[in-house]
Amino acid sequence: MILFGQVLEVLIGGLLSGVLYSLVALGFVLIFKASGVFNFAQGAMVLLAGLALVRSLDFLAARGIPVWAAVMLGLLFAAVIMAITAWLVERFVLGPLVNQDGLTLFMSTIGATFVLEGASQMIFGSDVYPLRLFPNDAWFLFESVFPGGILVNKLDVWGGLIAGALVAGLAVFFQRTKTGRALRAVADDHAAAQSVGIPISWIWFVVWLAAGLVALVAATVWGTKLGVQFSITFLALKALPVLIIGGFTSVPGAIVGGLIVGAGEKLAEVYLGPHIGGGIEYWFAYVLALAVLLVRPQGLFGERLIERI
Amino acid sequence: MKADVETRPVSASAAAKARGDVLLSVDNVSLSFGGVRALRDVSFDIRKGEIRAIIGPNGAGKTSMLNVINGFYHPQGGIITFKGKRRHDMRPYLAASQGIARTFQNVALFRGMSTLDNIMTGRTLKMRRGILAQAIYWGASQREEIRHRKAVEHIIDFLEIKHIRKTPVGKLPYGLQKRVELGRALATEPELLLLDEPMAGMNLEEKQDMSRFILTVRDTFDTTIALIEHDMGVVMDLSDRIVVLDYGRKIADGTPGEVQRNQAVIDAYLGIPH
Repeated sequence: MILFGQVLEVLIGGLLSGVLYSLVALGFVLIFKASGVFNFAQGAMVLLAGLALVRSLDFLAARGIPVWAAVMLGLLFAAVIMAITAWLVERFVLGPLVNQDGLTLFMSTIGATFVLEGASQMIFGSDVYPLRLFPNDAWFLFESVFPGGILVNKLDVWGGLIAGALVAGLAVFFQRTKTGRALRAVADDHAAAQSVGIPISWIWFVVWLAAGLVALVAATVWGTKLGVQFSITFLALKALPVLIIGGFTSVPGAIVGGLIVGAGEKLAEVYLGPHIGGGIEYWFAYVLALAVLLVRPQGLFGERLIERI
Repeated sequence: MKADVETRPVSASAAAKARGDVLLSVDNVSLSFGGVRALRDVSFDIRKGEIRAIIGPNGAGKTSMLNVINGFYHPQGGIITFKGKRRHDMRPYLAASQGIARTFQNVALFRGMSTLDNIMTGRTLKMRRGILAQAIYWGASQREEIRHRKAVEHIIDFLEIKHIRKTPVGKLPYGLQKRVELGRALATEPELLLLDEPMAGMNLEEKQDMSRFILTVRDTFDTTIALIEHDMGVVMDLSDRIVVLDYGRKIADGTPGEVQRNQAVIDAYLGIPH
């Protein structure tokens, strides 16, 4: 019973932290679905959103504004910053590159990454800023069944709830609305989308705004966990195996991929780690992604592309 | 290079035969990519209600011409007038909003979507509800969606593709994909429809179907059509007037009969003895 309790605890902890990876991966999927661009700047956008939020919160709190109002205003301010970023990216980075190759667009997002990272730290500062939006302590569940109970981090549960709501909202938006249909059209074929009168610049703005807001949500959760700091941009690297496993084009794939990576790396660390010297958590996800690439290159939920030769 | 080939003016008989007023006119349009001159001083017009073919050997600049008309390319020189207004700096989605629709040489459908959704994208410009209203999908927004669904179902009936409404277009055979693409263009209710090789890669039966659709579109939807096509039989049967391009220049312009007898056209297609 002790062993079972431990497995359950590791599994739950892993799944919930996997949801947090999914939050970052979602931003990638959104932009990839709608523009066929792998957006290298997603990690930088999480940093920017987090910095804008935490710094405006500090600013408002120092002026004695009540907490709930400060949080509201802070979120609003960060959302406006993400909207401005989306507009700038569309106007100066992607706009001039309509109908170009995917690789060209990818390279341009690498450039955008450096600009975003530099600008956000120049404007908002480059220290570690603690963020306390969600409770960060733990629950102990089923104490009567398992000795010591099962430890569950409240923050992770919050993250799970938020991710669930986000996915539901995005799924409705993509499948049921005119703009969602236009987004999917642009993702499939720029030229054809333009020819039926879909203004690509507007669509790209909407997509980058959505990705920016997802980055903001990810920043609230990750910022609470780690503090808002530069290393948050490396989350982008953790999202990569999540995307490969789940498929670049699938919103549910980003969630399932995150769960698999989260649970997999925690279980591997605890049960495989001691036999091969530990430290598995840091590379397990990448090996898993490699294995998926060999067996199912499009990912679990990705669209399989069949090329006519 | 045939630099000495003269440009024939539109003959009087062709003009007389044309159905109506000028819908679009292209005057001295030139387009180049770096050193490659894709179009050189090309002028012609498209009249309301006619089927206007653009033909020429490979690389003559036919597709470039269509891309200029619907705003993908911006010509370095020349004037384009559409519905009596001179156009500046056209963008494709603006062209679409002014009533120009097109299909592509290599089928350009939204592969992941069903036939129905593909054709629905053609209604984008006609739908007016804002993002928030759509997200809630309620009331007016829902009624609007239903109204446009009806228009799209009408097109689906007309093109005889009812049986593949829900099929993802990536899975359809080539001929049907071309038909769906025509449907998407029709959904925008265009005044001018540009068709880039609508029969390429089709068998005889499919070509006959497509010809029938094109004629019906012109006659019942009241749409003017400009088409590029390599099948000369089809071109001669369908079109009212033909423009012939070669190496980016216009070498002939007139009725099918006139173009067929034109020495410059014969030379361009068969080559000149050296």
